[in-house]
Amino acid sequence: MELIKEIWHYYEHNGSYVLSEIFRHFLMSAYGVLFAAIIAIPLGIFLARYSRLSPVVFSIVNIIQTIPALAMLAVLMLVMGLGPNTVVMALFLYSILPILRNTYTGILSVDKALTESGNGMGMTKFQLLRMVELPLALSVIIAGLRTALVIGISIATIGAFIGAGGLGDIIIRGTNAADGTAIILAGAIPTALIAVFADLFMGWIEKQLNHETKIKRRNRTA
Amino acid sequence: MTKIMKKQIIFISIVFVIILSGCSLPGLGGSSKDTIKVSSLNTSESATVAYIIKYLIEEETDYSVEIIGNMGSSIVQHQALEQGDVDMSSTRYTGTDLPGALGLDPVTDPDEALAIVQEQFAERFDQKWYDPLGFANTYAFTVKSELAEEENLTKVSDIESIAEDLRLGVDNAWLNREGDGYKAFIETYGFEFGKAYPMQIGLVYTAVASDEMDVVLAYSTDGRIEEFDLVTLEDDLHFFPPYDASPVVSNDVLERFPEIDGLIEKLVGQIDVDEMLRMNYEADVKMKEPAIVAKEFLEANNYFK
Repeated sequence: MELIKEIWHYYEHNGSYVLSEIFRHFLMSAYGVLFAAIIAIPLGIFLARYSRLSPVVFSIVNIIQTIPALAMLAVLMLVMGLGPNTVVMALFLYSILPILRNTYTGILSVDKALTESGNGMGMTKFQLLRMVELPLALSVIIAGLRTALVIGISIATIGAFIGAGGLGDIIIRGTNAADGTAIILAGAIPTALIAVFADLFMGWIEKQLNHETKIKRRNRTA
Repeated sequence: MTKIMKKQIIFISIVFVIILSGCSLPGLGGSSKDTIKVSSLNTSESATVAYIIKYLIEEETDYSVEIIGNMGSSIVQHQALEQGDVDMSSTRYTGTDLPGALGLDPVTDPDEALAIVQEQFAERFDQKWYDPLGFANTYAFTVKSELAEEENLTKVSDIESIAEDLRLGVDNAWLNREGDGYKAFIETYGFEFGKAYPMQIGLVYTAVASDEMDVVLAYSTDGRIEEFDLVTLEDDLHFFPPYDASPVVSNDVLERFPEIDGLIEKLVGQIDVDEMLRMNYEADVKMKEPAIVAKEFLEANNYFK
Protein backbone atom coordinates (compact mmCIF):
# COMPACT_ATOMS: atom_id res chain seq x y z
CA MET A 1 0.00 0.00 0.00
CA GLU A 2 2.84 2.34 0.98
CA LEU A 3 4.55 1.40 -2.27
CA ILE A 4 1.54 2.27 -4.42
CA LYS A 5 1.40 5.65 -2.71
CA GLU A 6 5.08 6.21 -3.44
CA ILE A 7 4.67 5.30 -7.10
CA TRP A 8 1.74 7.67 -7.33
CA HIS A 9 3.82 10.37 -5.68
CA TYR A 10 6.53 9.76 -8.26
CA TYR A 11 4.14 10.13 -11.20
CA GLU A 12 2.63 13.25 -9.68
CA HIS A 13 5.99 15.01 -9.60
CA ASN A 14 7.58 13.65 -12.74
CA GLY A 15 4.61 13.24 -15.07
CA SER A 16 5.97 15.33 -17.93
CA TYR A 17 9.35 13.61 -17.75
CA VAL A 18 7.83 10.11 -17.74
CA LEU A 19 5.64 10.97 -20.73
CA SER A 20 8.61 12.21 -22.74
CA GLU A 21 10.58 9.07 -21.87
CA ILE A 22 7.65 6.83 -22.85
CA PHE A 23 7.49 8.60 -26.20
CA ARG A 24 11.22 8.30 -26.69
CA HIS A 25 11.21 4.64 -25.69
CA PHE A 26 8.42 3.80 -28.09
CA LEU A 27 10.03 5.81 -30.88
CA MET A 28 13.33 3.92 -30.59
CA SER A 29 11.54 0.57 -30.81
CA ALA A 30 9.32 1.73 -33.68
CA TYR A 31 12.26 3.02 -35.73
CA GLY A 32 14.10 -0.28 -35.31
CA VAL A 33 11.07 -2.25 -36.50
CA LEU A 34 10.37 0.18 -39.32
CA PHE A 35 13.88 -0.04 -40.76
CA ALA A 36 13.87 -3.81 -40.36
CA ALA A 37 10.57 -3.98 -42.22
CA ILE A 38 12.00 -1.93 -45.09
CA ILE A 39 14.78 -4.47 -45.52
CA ALA A 40 13.21 -7.73 -44.36
CA ILE A 41 9.88 -7.69 -46.21
CA PRO A 42 11.40 -7.37 -49.70
CA LEU A 43 14.10 -9.85 -48.70
CA GLY A 44 11.44 -12.31 -47.50
CA ILE A 45 9.56 -12.04 -50.78
CA PHE A 46 12.81 -12.55 -52.68
CA LEU A 47 13.66 -15.63 -50.61
CA ALA A 48 10.19 -17.09 -51.22
CA ARG A 49 10.95 -16.86 -54.95
CA TYR A 50 14.41 -18.39 -54.63
CA SER A 51 13.95 -20.85 -51.78
CA ARG A 52 17.38 -22.35 -52.45
CA LEU A 53 18.97 -19.33 -50.78
CA SER A 54 16.80 -19.34 -47.71
CA PRO A 55 18.87 -21.73 -45.50
CA VAL A 56 21.94 -19.48 -45.83
CA VAL A 57 20.13 -16.25 -45.12
CA PHE A 58 18.14 -17.71 -42.26
CA SER A 59 21.22 -19.14 -40.60
CA ILE A 60 22.89 -15.71 -40.68
CA VAL A 61 19.79 -14.02 -39.28
CA ASN A 62 19.43 -16.71 -36.65
CA ILE A 63 22.98 -16.11 -35.46
CA ILE A 64 22.21 -12.41 -35.04
CA GLN A 65 19.22 -13.34 -32.89
CA THR A 66 21.33 -15.45 -30.51
CA ILE A 67 23.70 -12.57 -29.58
CA PRO A 68 22.81 -11.38 -26.06
CA ALA A 69 21.36 -7.88 -26.13
CA LEU A 70 23.98 -6.39 -23.83
CA ALA A 71 26.82 -7.80 -25.93
CA MET A 72 25.17 -6.53 -29.10
CA LEU A 73 24.91 -3.02 -27.67
CA ALA A 74 28.51 -3.12 -26.46
CA VAL A 75 29.83 -4.16 -29.86
CA LEU A 76 27.66 -1.69 -31.77
CA MET A 77 28.73 1.03 -29.35
CA LEU A 78 32.35 0.54 -30.40
CA VAL A 79 31.38 1.18 -34.01
CA MET A 80 28.59 3.72 -33.71
CA GLY A 81 29.32 5.45 -30.41
CA LEU A 82 26.88 6.31 -27.63
CA GLY A 83 23.29 7.38 -27.97
CA PRO A 84 19.89 6.39 -29.33
CA ASN A 85 21.01 5.56 -32.90
CA THR A 86 23.04 2.62 -31.61
CA VAL A 87 19.96 1.26 -29.86
CA VAL A 88 17.88 1.68 -33.02
CA MET A 89 20.54 -0.29 -34.90
CA ALA A 90 20.43 -3.12 -32.35
CA LEU A 91 16.64 -3.24 -32.50
CA PHE A 92 16.84 -3.26 -36.29
CA LEU A 93 19.05 -6.35 -36.18
CA TYR A 94 16.80 -8.14 -33.69
CA SER A 95 13.68 -7.33 -35.71
CA ILE A 96 14.94 -8.85 -38.95
CA LEU A 97 14.33 -12.49 -38.04
CA PRO A 98 10.65 -12.34 -37.02
CA ILE A 99 9.73 -10.11 -39.96
CA LEU A 100 11.76 -12.07 -42.49
CA ARG A 101 10.49 -15.45 -41.36
CA ASN A 102 6.86 -14.36 -41.31
CA THR A 103 7.08 -12.75 -44.75
CA TYR A 104 8.74 -15.84 -46.16
CA THR A 105 6.22 -18.25 -44.62
CA GLY A 106 3.31 -15.96 -45.46
CA ILE A 107 4.17 -15.81 -49.15
CA LEU A 108 4.95 -19.52 -49.40
CA SER A 109 1.73 -20.56 -47.68
CA VAL A 110 -0.47 -18.89 -50.32
CA ASP A 111 -2.51 -21.61 -51.98
CA LYS A 112 -0.78 -22.80 -55.18
CA ALA A 113 -4.13 -23.09 -56.90
CA LEU A 114 -4.63 -19.33 -56.49
CA THR A 115 -1.26 -18.32 -57.87
CA GLU A 116 -1.70 -20.69 -60.76
CA SER A 117 -5.11 -19.33 -61.64
CA GLY A 118 -3.58 -15.87 -61.47
CA ASN A 119 -0.93 -17.05 -63.88
CA GLY A 120 -3.64 -18.51 -66.12
CA MET A 121 -5.38 -15.13 -66.21
CA GLY A 122 -2.20 -13.68 -67.64
CA MET A 123 -1.02 -11.74 -64.58
CA THR A 124 2.57 -10.57 -64.57
CA LYS A 125 4.79 -11.59 -61.64
CA PHE A 126 4.38 -8.18 -60.08
CA GLN A 127 0.60 -8.20 -60.46
CA LEU A 128 0.49 -11.65 -58.92
CA LEU A 129 2.49 -10.38 -55.93
CA ARG A 130 0.44 -7.23 -55.49
CA MET A 131 -3.04 -8.63 -56.09
CA VAL A 132 -2.80 -12.21 -54.86
CA GLU A 133 0.18 -13.07 -52.68
CA LEU A 134 0.66 -9.91 -50.58
CA PRO A 135 -3.03 -9.47 -49.64
CA LEU A 136 -3.20 -13.10 -48.55
CA ALA A 137 0.11 -12.99 -46.64
CA LEU A 138 -0.43 -9.55 -45.09
CA SER A 139 -1.82 -10.68 -41.74
CA VAL A 140 1.09 -13.10 -41.26
CA ILE A 141 3.58 -10.33 -42.11
CA ILE A 142 1.88 -8.02 -39.61
CA ALA A 143 2.17 -10.79 -37.02
CA GLY A 144 5.94 -10.68 -37.61
CA LEU A 145 6.00 -6.92 -37.08
CA ARG A 146 4.01 -7.45 -33.91
CA THR A 147 6.54 -9.90 -32.47
CA ALA A 148 9.42 -7.62 -33.48
CA LEU A 149 7.85 -4.58 -31.84
CA VAL A 150 7.19 -6.33 -28.53
CA ILE A 151 10.74 -7.71 -28.41
CA GLY A 152 12.04 -4.27 -29.36
CA ILE A 153 10.21 -2.49 -26.56
CA SER A 154 11.73 -4.79 -23.95
CA ILE A 155 15.25 -4.62 -25.40
CA ALA A 156 15.14 -0.81 -25.67
CA THR A 157 15.16 -0.72 -21.87
CA ILE A 158 18.84 -1.58 -21.64
CA GLY A 159 19.61 1.18 -24.12
CA ALA A 160 19.86 3.39 -21.02
CA PHE A 161 23.27 1.80 -20.35
CA ILE A 162 24.70 3.49 -23.43
CA GLY A 163 23.05 6.79 -22.71
CA ALA A 164 20.08 6.48 -25.04
CA GLY A 165 17.51 7.46 -22.42
CA GLY A 166 14.06 5.92 -22.48
CA LEU A 167 12.27 4.22 -19.63
CA GLY A 168 15.39 2.22 -18.77
CA ASP A 169 16.84 5.48 -17.46
CA ILE A 170 14.20 5.61 -14.76
CA ILE A 171 14.83 1.99 -13.78
CA ILE A 172 18.59 2.50 -13.51
CA ARG A 173 18.07 5.60 -11.41
CA GLY A 174 15.92 3.52 -9.08
CA THR A 175 18.70 0.98 -8.64
CA ASN A 176 21.09 3.79 -7.68
CA ALA A 177 18.78 5.58 -5.25
CA ALA A 178 18.77 4.79 -1.55
CA ASP A 179 15.30 3.25 -1.50
CA GLY A 180 14.44 2.96 -5.13
CA THR A 181 11.82 0.21 -5.32
CA ALA A 182 9.10 2.70 -6.19
CA ILE A 183 11.24 4.35 -8.87
CA ILE A 184 12.16 0.99 -10.42
CA LEU A 185 8.49 0.05 -10.62
CA ALA A 186 7.59 3.51 -11.91
CA GLY A 187 9.87 2.80 -14.87
CA ALA A 188 9.03 -0.87 -15.32
CA ILE A 189 5.23 -0.56 -15.29
CA PRO A 190 4.95 1.79 -18.30
CA THR A 191 7.48 -0.36 -20.19
CA ALA A 192 5.27 -3.39 -19.74
CA LEU A 193 2.17 -1.35 -20.56
CA ILE A 194 3.54 -0.06 -23.89
CA ALA A 195 4.49 -3.61 -24.82
CA VAL A 196 0.99 -4.87 -23.98
CA PHE A 197 -0.74 -2.05 -25.83
CA ALA A 198 1.52 -2.40 -28.85
CA ASP A 199 0.73 -6.11 -28.89
CA LEU A 200 -3.03 -5.55 -28.64
CA PHE A 201 -2.99 -2.86 -31.32
CA MET A 202 -0.93 -4.88 -33.77
CA GLY A 203 -3.09 -7.90 -33.02
CA TRP A 204 -6.16 -5.86 -33.92
CA ILE A 205 -4.61 -4.73 -37.22
CA GLU A 206 -3.57 -8.29 -37.94
CA LYS A 207 -7.14 -9.44 -37.44
CA GLN A 208 -8.53 -6.71 -39.69
CA LEU A 209 -6.17 -7.69 -42.50
CA ASN A 210 -6.80 -11.41 -42.25
CA HIS A 211 -8.57 -12.42 -45.44
CA GLU A 212 -10.96 -14.73 -43.63
CA THR A 213 -12.15 -11.82 -41.49
CA LYS A 214 -12.50 -9.76 -44.64
CA ILE A 215 -14.61 -12.41 -46.33
CA LYS A 216 -16.82 -12.78 -43.27
CA ARG A 217 -17.35 -9.03 -43.13
CA ARG A 218 -18.23 -8.91 -46.80
CA ASN A 219 -20.73 -11.74 -46.38
CA ARG A 220 -22.33 -9.98 -43.44
CA THR A 221 -22.89 -6.75 -45.37
CA ALA A 222 -24.08 -8.59 -48.44
CA MET B 1 25.86 -17.50 -55.38
CA THR B 2 25.73 -17.91 -51.63
CA LYS B 3 29.07 -16.19 -51.24
CA ILE B 4 27.82 -13.26 -53.26
CA MET B 5 24.69 -13.14 -51.10
CA LYS B 6 26.74 -13.10 -47.93
CA LYS B 7 28.91 -10.31 -49.28
CA GLN B 8 25.84 -8.36 -50.30
CA ILE B 9 24.30 -8.72 -46.88
CA ILE B 10 27.49 -7.60 -45.19
CA PHE B 11 27.79 -4.70 -47.60
CA ILE B 12 24.20 -3.62 -47.05
CA SER B 13 24.57 -3.75 -43.28
CA ILE B 14 27.79 -1.73 -43.35
CA VAL B 15 26.17 0.94 -45.51
CA PHE B 16 23.24 0.92 -43.12
CA VAL B 17 25.44 1.37 -40.05
CA ILE B 18 27.22 4.30 -41.67
CA ILE B 19 23.99 5.98 -42.74
CA LEU B 20 22.31 5.43 -39.40
CA SER B 21 25.24 6.66 -37.30
CA GLY B 22 25.41 9.81 -39.37
CA CYS B 23 21.77 10.79 -39.52
CA SER B 24 19.35 12.14 -37.00
CA LEU B 25 16.03 10.43 -36.50
CA PRO B 26 13.11 12.79 -35.89
CA GLY B 27 12.27 12.76 -32.21
CA LEU B 28 15.51 11.21 -31.07
CA GLY B 29 17.97 14.04 -31.68
CA GLY B 30 20.92 11.89 -32.66
CA SER B 31 23.90 13.43 -34.34
CA SER B 32 22.42 16.32 -36.23
CA LYS B 33 24.49 19.44 -36.84
CA ASP B 34 22.76 21.61 -34.29
CA THR B 35 22.73 19.05 -31.50
CA ILE B 36 25.08 19.35 -28.54
CA LYS B 37 25.65 16.10 -26.66
CA VAL B 38 26.22 16.33 -22.92
CA SER B 39 27.38 13.34 -20.91
CA SER B 40 26.47 12.74 -17.28
CA LEU B 41 27.44 10.22 -14.62
CA ASN B 42 24.94 7.79 -13.15
CA THR B 43 24.44 10.03 -10.12
CA SER B 44 21.52 12.39 -9.58
CA GLU B 45 23.97 15.22 -9.07
CA SER B 46 25.61 14.83 -12.45
CA ALA B 47 22.29 14.30 -14.22
CA THR B 48 20.80 17.41 -12.59
CA VAL B 49 23.70 19.58 -13.75
CA ALA B 50 23.41 18.08 -17.25
CA TYR B 51 19.72 19.01 -17.41
CA ILE B 52 20.46 22.51 -16.09
CA ILE B 53 22.93 22.97 -18.94
CA LYS B 54 20.46 21.47 -21.42
CA TYR B 55 17.54 23.71 -20.52
CA LEU B 56 19.74 26.78 -20.33
CA ILE B 57 21.20 26.25 -23.80
CA GLU B 58 17.84 25.34 -25.32
CA GLU B 59 16.22 28.41 -23.80
CA GLU B 60 18.84 30.88 -25.00
CA THR B 61 19.86 29.41 -28.37
CA ASP B 62 18.34 27.41 -31.23
CA TYR B 63 20.52 24.38 -30.58
CA SER B 64 19.08 21.23 -29.12
CA VAL B 65 20.86 19.34 -26.40
CA GLU B 66 21.00 15.58 -26.12
CA ILE B 67 21.91 14.01 -22.77
CA ILE B 68 23.99 10.86 -22.83
CA GLY B 69 23.41 9.63 -19.30
CA ASN B 70 24.41 6.82 -16.97
CA MET B 71 28.13 6.92 -17.60
CA GLY B 72 29.85 4.55 -15.20
CA SER B 73 32.86 6.65 -14.19
CA SER B 74 34.70 9.83 -15.04
CA ILE B 75 37.18 7.81 -17.08
CA VAL B 76 34.30 6.75 -19.34
CA GLN B 77 33.22 10.38 -19.53
CA HIS B 78 36.74 11.37 -20.43
CA GLN B 79 37.00 8.82 -23.21
CA ALA B 80 33.62 9.72 -24.65
CA LEU B 81 34.69 13.37 -24.80
CA GLU B 82 38.10 12.50 -26.26
CA GLN B 83 36.58 10.38 -29.02
CA GLY B 84 33.97 12.97 -29.86
CA ASP B 85 31.04 10.76 -28.86
CA VAL B 86 29.91 13.67 -26.71
CA ASP B 87 30.65 17.39 -26.83
CA MET B 88 30.63 18.16 -23.13
CA SER B 89 30.83 16.52 -19.70
CA SER B 90 28.35 17.92 -17.22
CA THR B 91 30.40 17.32 -14.06
CA ARG B 92 34.05 16.43 -13.71
CA TYR B 93 35.79 16.49 -10.34
CA THR B 94 39.31 17.85 -9.82
CA GLY B 95 40.25 15.19 -7.25
CA THR B 96 39.06 12.38 -9.54
CA ASP B 97 40.63 13.52 -12.77
CA LEU B 98 44.02 14.47 -11.36
CA PRO B 99 44.95 10.84 -10.73
CA GLY B 100 42.40 9.54 -13.28
CA ALA B 101 42.57 11.14 -16.71
CA LEU B 102 45.86 12.97 -16.05
CA GLY B 103 47.67 10.30 -14.02
CA LEU B 104 49.13 12.87 -11.61
CA ASP B 105 49.47 12.79 -7.82
CA PRO B 106 46.55 14.11 -5.78
CA VAL B 107 46.88 17.73 -4.63
CA THR B 108 45.18 18.89 -1.43
CA ASP B 109 44.96 22.60 -2.16
CA PRO B 110 41.75 23.27 -4.16
CA ASP B 111 43.09 26.25 -6.12
CA GLU B 112 46.29 24.48 -7.03
CA ALA B 113 44.40 21.36 -8.12
CA LEU B 114 42.09 23.47 -10.27
CA ALA B 115 44.98 25.33 -11.86
CA ILE B 116 46.68 22.06 -12.76
CA VAL B 117 43.64 20.42 -14.36
CA GLN B 118 42.70 23.57 -16.27
CA GLU B 119 46.18 23.90 -17.69
CA GLN B 120 46.70 20.20 -18.40
CA PHE B 121 43.31 19.66 -20.03
CA ALA B 122 43.84 22.64 -22.30
CA GLU B 123 47.33 21.49 -23.23
CA ARG B 124 46.88 17.73 -23.56
CA PHE B 125 43.30 17.35 -24.72
CA ASP B 126 42.38 20.79 -26.09
CA GLN B 127 39.44 20.93 -23.69
CA LYS B 128 38.18 23.76 -21.51
CA TRP B 129 37.79 22.91 -17.83
CA TYR B 130 35.47 25.59 -16.45
CA ASP B 131 35.81 27.23 -13.06
CA PRO B 132 33.96 25.21 -10.40
CA LEU B 133 30.17 25.31 -10.31
CA GLY B 134 30.44 25.99 -6.60
CA PHE B 135 30.04 22.62 -4.94
CA ALA B 136 32.53 19.87 -4.17
CA ASN B 137 31.58 16.25 -3.71
CA THR B 138 34.22 15.05 -1.29
CA TYR B 139 34.27 12.91 1.81
CA ALA B 140 32.91 14.77 4.81
CA PHE B 141 32.70 13.91 8.49
CA THR B 142 29.14 14.37 9.66
CA VAL B 143 27.54 14.02 13.10
CA LYS B 144 23.97 14.11 14.34
CA SER B 145 22.81 17.66 14.90
CA GLU B 146 22.04 17.06 18.63
CA LEU B 147 25.57 15.84 19.23
CA ALA B 148 27.00 18.80 17.33
CA GLU B 149 25.02 21.22 19.50
CA GLU B 150 25.80 19.45 22.77
CA GLU B 151 29.52 19.31 22.20
CA ASN B 152 29.70 22.48 20.11
CA LEU B 153 31.29 20.78 17.09
CA THR B 154 31.95 22.70 13.87
CA LYS B 155 35.36 21.48 12.71
CA VAL B 156 36.88 18.01 12.51
CA SER B 157 39.54 18.96 15.09
CA ASP B 158 36.76 19.72 17.58
CA ILE B 159 36.11 16.00 17.82
CA GLU B 160 39.53 15.22 19.22
CA SER B 161 38.59 15.58 22.89
CA ILE B 162 35.66 13.17 22.66
CA ALA B 163 36.88 10.96 19.82
CA GLU B 164 37.61 7.99 22.10
CA ASP B 165 33.93 7.55 22.92
CA LEU B 166 32.70 7.89 19.35
CA ARG B 167 31.79 5.23 16.85
CA LEU B 168 32.63 6.03 13.20
CA GLY B 169 30.83 4.54 10.20
CA VAL B 170 32.64 4.61 6.85
CA ASP B 171 32.24 3.07 3.42
CA ASN B 172 34.13 -0.13 2.66
CA ALA B 173 36.92 1.46 0.66
CA TRP B 174 38.08 4.22 2.95
CA LEU B 175 39.49 2.35 5.95
CA ASN B 176 42.40 0.70 4.14
CA ARG B 177 42.90 3.29 1.45
CA GLU B 178 46.35 4.74 0.80
CA GLY B 179 46.79 8.50 0.54
CA ASP B 180 43.53 9.77 1.99
CA GLY B 181 42.44 6.77 4.04
CA TYR B 182 42.12 6.23 7.80
CA LYS B 183 45.84 5.74 8.43
CA ALA B 184 46.71 9.03 6.80
CA PHE B 185 43.82 10.65 8.65
CA ILE B 186 45.29 9.60 12.01
CA GLU B 187 48.66 11.01 10.99
CA THR B 188 47.21 14.34 9.90
CA TYR B 189 44.68 14.95 12.67
CA GLY B 190 46.52 13.06 15.39
CA PHE B 191 43.58 11.19 16.92
CA GLU B 192 41.67 7.95 16.48
CA PHE B 193 38.01 7.13 16.90
CA GLY B 194 36.92 4.66 19.59
CA LYS B 195 35.65 2.26 16.96
CA ALA B 196 35.48 2.39 13.17
CA TYR B 197 33.01 0.27 11.25
CA PRO B 198 33.44 -0.26 7.51
CA MET B 199 29.95 -0.76 6.03
CA GLN B 200 27.89 -0.26 2.93
CA ILE B 201 27.36 3.50 2.95
CA GLY B 202 23.55 3.21 2.85
CA LEU B 203 23.58 1.13 6.03
CA VAL B 204 25.75 3.67 7.83
CA TYR B 205 22.93 6.23 7.64
CA THR B 206 20.41 3.79 9.02
CA ALA B 207 22.82 2.94 11.82
CA VAL B 208 23.13 6.60 12.78
CA ALA B 209 19.37 6.97 12.77
CA SER B 210 19.06 4.14 15.28
CA ASP B 211 21.91 5.53 17.45
CA GLU B 212 24.27 2.67 16.67
CA MET B 213 26.76 5.15 15.22
CA ASP B 214 27.89 8.70 16.07
CA VAL B 215 29.99 9.92 13.16
CA VAL B 216 29.43 9.22 9.47
CA LEU B 217 32.01 9.69 6.78
CA ALA B 218 29.53 10.80 4.11
CA TYR B 219 29.81 12.20 0.60
CA SER B 220 29.41 15.91 1.06
CA THR B 221 26.54 16.39 -1.41
CA ASP B 222 24.62 13.27 -0.44
CA GLY B 223 20.92 14.04 -0.02
CA ARG B 224 20.75 11.71 2.94
CA ILE B 225 22.81 14.13 5.06
CA GLU B 226 19.72 16.29 5.13
CA GLU B 227 17.29 13.39 5.46
CA PHE B 228 19.01 12.02 8.56
CA ASP B 229 19.55 15.48 10.09
CA LEU B 230 23.36 15.36 10.08
CA VAL B 231 25.77 18.27 10.39
CA THR B 232 28.91 18.45 8.25
CA LEU B 233 32.15 19.28 10.07
CA GLU B 234 34.69 21.45 8.33
CA ASP B 235 37.83 19.64 7.20
CA ASP B 236 40.01 22.37 8.80
CA LEU B 237 43.37 20.70 8.13
CA HIS B 238 42.48 20.14 4.42
CA PHE B 239 43.01 16.42 4.69
CA PHE B 240 40.75 15.31 1.83
CA PRO B 241 41.71 16.27 -1.69
CA PRO B 242 39.22 18.70 -3.24
CA TYR B 243 36.55 17.32 -5.56
CA ASP B 244 35.32 20.59 -7.05
CA ALA B 245 32.86 19.95 -9.85
CA SER B 246 33.14 21.71 -13.21
CA PRO B 247 31.77 21.19 -16.69
CA VAL B 248 34.35 20.29 -19.35
CA VAL B 249 33.90 21.18 -23.02
CA SER B 250 36.20 20.48 -25.91
CA ASN B 251 37.50 23.62 -27.58
CA ASP B 252 36.40 22.79 -31.11
CA VAL B 253 32.83 22.44 -29.81
CA LEU B 254 33.13 25.94 -28.35
CA GLU B 255 34.23 27.14 -31.77
CA ARG B 256 31.29 25.45 -33.47
CA PHE B 257 28.79 26.77 -30.92
CA PRO B 258 30.29 30.05 -29.71
CA GLU B 259 27.17 31.10 -27.76
CA ILE B 260 27.37 28.29 -25.22
CA ASP B 261 30.61 29.51 -23.61
CA GLY B 262 28.88 32.51 -22.07
CA LEU B 263 25.93 30.40 -20.96
CA ILE B 264 28.10 27.93 -19.07
CA GLU B 265 30.04 30.79 -17.50
CA LYS B 266 26.71 31.97 -16.11
CA LEU B 267 26.57 28.79 -14.01
CA VAL B 268 30.08 29.06 -12.58
CA GLY B 269 29.93 29.49 -8.81
CA GLN B 270 26.12 29.46 -8.83
CA ILE B 271 25.46 26.05 -7.31
CA ASP B 272 26.89 25.93 -3.79
CA VAL B 273 27.06 22.82 -1.59
CA ASP B 274 23.79 23.59 0.19
CA GLU B 275 21.97 24.05 -3.09
CA MET B 276 23.37 20.80 -4.47
CA LEU B 277 22.52 19.01 -1.22
CA ARG B 278 18.98 20.25 -1.49
CA MET B 279 18.70 19.14 -5.12
CA ASN B 280 20.17 15.70 -4.39
CA TYR B 281 17.72 15.40 -1.53
CA GLU B 282 14.82 16.22 -3.84
CA ALA B 283 16.03 13.65 -6.36
CA ASP B 284 17.15 10.77 -4.14
CA VAL B 285 14.78 11.06 -1.22
CA LYS B 286 11.77 12.93 -2.62
CA MET B 287 11.88 10.90 -5.85
CA LYS B 288 11.89 13.86 -8.23
CA GLU B 289 13.60 13.26 -11.55
CA PRO B 290 16.81 15.27 -12.11
CA ALA B 291 15.13 16.80 -15.17
CA ILE B 292 12.38 18.25 -13.00
CA VAL B 293 14.78 19.37 -10.25
CA ALA B 294 16.91 21.14 -12.86
CA LYS B 295 13.95 23.00 -14.32
CA GLU B 296 12.86 24.13 -10.85
CA PHE B 297 16.39 25.34 -10.10
CA LEU B 298 16.49 27.44 -13.26
CA GLU B 299 13.04 28.87 -12.64
CA ALA B 300 13.74 29.68 -9.00
CA ASN B 301 16.97 31.46 -9.90
CA ASN B 302 15.48 33.47 -12.77
CA TYR B 303 17.56 32.02 -15.54
CA PHE B 304 14.49 32.07 -17.77
CA LYS B 305 13.51 35.63 -18.43
